Amino acid sequence: MDGISSGFAHLVGPTQRRERILMNHLHDGKFASPEEITRGFEKAGYVCSRKIATTLYLAYHLQKPVLVEGPAGVGKTELAKITAAYVDVPLIRLQCYEGLDESKALYEWKYGKQLLYTQILKDKLNDVLKGAKGLSQSMSKLHEYDDIFFSEHFLEPRPLLKALQVAEGSVLLVDEVDKSDQEFEAFLLEILSDFQVSVPEIGTIEALCRPFVFLTSNNTREMSEALKRRCLHLFIPFPDPRLEKEILRVRVPDLAEILQMQLVAFIHQVRKLDLKKVPSVSETIDWARVMLLLNASSLNQGLIRDTLNVFVKFEDDINIVHEHLHEITAAAMKEM
Amino acid sequence: MDQVLQDFIAALRNSGVRISVAENMDALHAAAFMGCADRQDLKDSLSATLAKSQYEKEIFDSCFDRFFCTESPSHPEKDSHGEPEMDTGGQDSSLTEMLLSGDNVGLSIAMRQAARQANINEIQFFTQKSLYTRRILQGMGMEAVEGDIRRLSGEGMGTSLQKAKALKDARDALMQNVRNFVEQQYPLFAGAATEEIMERYLKDMRLSNLEQRDFQRMHRIVQKMVKRLNDRHSKRKKAEKRGCFDLKRTLRANVAYQGMIIDPRWKSKKIDRADIVALCDVSRSVEDFVRFMLLFFYNLNEAVVRIRSYIFCSNLVDVTHVFEEHPVEEALVRLQRGVGLGIRFGGTDYGQALRDFKENWMDRVTNRTTVIILGDARNNFGDPEMGILRLLQERSKRIIWLNPEPPTFWGTGDSEMKRYMAYCTLSRECSTVNHLQRVVDYLLRTR
Repeated sequence: MDGISSGFAHLVGPTQRRERILMNHLHDGKFASPEEITRGFEKAGYVCSRKIATTLYLAYHLQKPVLVEGPAGVGKTELAKITAAYVDVPLIRLQCYEGLDESKALYEWKYGKQLLYTQILKDKLNDVLKGAKGLSQSMSKLHEYDDIFFSEHFLEPRPLLKALQVAEGSVLLVDEVDKSDQEFEAFLLEILSDFQVSVPEIGTIEALCRPFVFLTSNNTREMSEALKRRCLHLFIPFPDPRLEKEILRVRVPDLAEILQMQLVAFIHQVRKLDLKKVPSVSETIDWARVMLLLNASSLNQGLIRDTLNVFVKFEDDINIVHEHLHEITAAAMKEM
Repeated sequence: MDQVLQDFIAALRNSGVRISVAENMDALHAAAFMGCADRQDLKDSLSATLAKSQYEKEIFDSCFDRFFCTESPSHPEKDSHGEPEMDTGGQDSSLTEMLLSGDNVGLSIAMRQAARQANINEIQFFTQKSLYTRRILQGMGMEAVEGDIRRLSGEGMGTSLQKAKALKDARDALMQNVRNFVEQQYPLFAGAATEEIMERYLKDMRLSNLEQRDFQRMHRIVQKMVKRLNDRHSKRKKAEKRGCFDLKRTLRANVAYQGMIIDPRWKSKKIDRADIVALCDVSRSVEDFVRFMLLFFYNLNEAVVRIRSYIFCSNLVDVTHVFEEHPVEEALVRLQRGVGLGIRFGGTDYGQALRDFKENWMDRVTNRTTVIILGDARNNFGDPEMGILRLLQERSKRIIWLNPEPPTFWGTGDSEMKRYMAYCTLSRECSTVNHLQRVVDYLLRTR
């Protein structure tokens, strides 16, 4: 923790609010236009559609979190990672799951340390209270020391709080937020809209520098209106063939162009089948790498049959693809 | 620009996209930021700020394309043989000038202004289309154009006549354009009204009257309901997690006692999810009702709880696998037709159905199971097998009987409802979504 935070985040008492800290504009150059973002991301190995670039551009300039939805494996999480690499700040990741609570997401008191310190400091009590007459005087002497045990020294920051404490800014990724409980969503709200958290014993902690926030969701449940309201919404569908080919070109540059075209056309036909789990973009990339490893020059049915399990992950699905192999290869050929 | 955006947002709201004031402001910021030079950029940025789910994105796309339709209004071919002589006397109105010079942009702007003045966003019924068309034309100054045409024709000179003819053509084209424009705007502003009415209407409609084309909509209502129930369920579940030893909270609470643990704190995990066995009568008399109930169970099956489903007519069969293997529409058709299920569509025999259940599946019923029976209890005067129902009652947590007939008909004719009722924890009339909602609320409230 101490490695990341150079100092403690701004503490704001309930009565006196400091002036809102604006996100630093250090990265304005990198977010000068959607085109600039597209270019920068492509260098980092992420091909983003115009829509993604525009949303990122807006998110940076309007200082809003982005809620990214879409089927599994289209690069939702990757988007956050690449953004962090692009602006060169640490990526702080919070993986959501059922039962996640604030002590794991936000902060936690260091109970052990608190206990230890009370034991150690017990002997010092006499020195502190020396010269005090009566109970009330001792009391007021003790009060001079305030709540020393509930201060930042005893606070263990979890991802959300950590993200606020990084002085040079950070990318906060709240992954699979749909897996968390409804209550968790509720205390995300404060961070998303004001970039601050409230710790009852201390007060409100504001961000030193507003983090770039991504929330990803697989849509296993609908997010609440309140959460959506605070975010920009980005839906990433499966890419169209042209874009997917572009992705392959960037991610697996050594692959022959004819093979790229064949792979993408075939995968798009497979996605049309009624499968339990349709192959994602990441699986297309895996498949392309396998092809490269096998030194294949072009796609044929035998090769497909042997490597089917790279992108189809269920026994039933494999059988279905086997059954339709002839027609989908024919359709894929026609599409090219 | 802001005014246009407000109109657009109003149109979106009308189409059923929920947009808060905060989102509205975000959209304005985003639009101001992106500018409106690039149509696609504007669309993407509005989409990111306004439409917050896949479903809403679809509505957004269609609304955006309709609202900001780019096809320029068609204009009749200009007369190739020479420009008509201008300044033939009387002063032409501004609209006449625009028509004659073919100023499409000007016309389009004038049309939208007139439309706003005519409050096109208040259009509600398709019968109002011609009214609004007329109002817009009036607002654009059509009367002056008519005057010009009359004046030009009256002058009787060659050039004037030619000009009058050109003006007439342009006027007709403009009228057509305005008509098209109103046609486009109508679903934008009136669509929602119809949709909302439809949804309210469907919610109280007798289930048996449902038609195929409303099926999808029904599906959405049920999903909405299931979602709400789901929320309630998880909330209750959460409350129960409190109550094994919670080390962190205990330490925290006992810091005050020098770390001596004299005030232990607890939390417990006890997740109790409803376990349902559903028996459905699929005989002719209740067929349409069953269709709905099965649809509801299909959704429930996917969303909330574990359900075993059975259908019966002359005998009883397990159909849980049908729900699991087929998409909803197909599953319902399969169940209604009884494709490959081994069900016999003779007279309804509740006795046989209960006997079948007892023989094959009684072990599925435990003291945590809720048994739901759907049917009119019309047994064709056969043996009602009260004993088996009593056995069911003893084994299960509760039996709920949902009868599509109103209670006044229970026990009349061959209905055994009055006798079956005695063993049911709850017996209700259930033939609309509202009925159903009440039953499910009860189901989740009581333990």
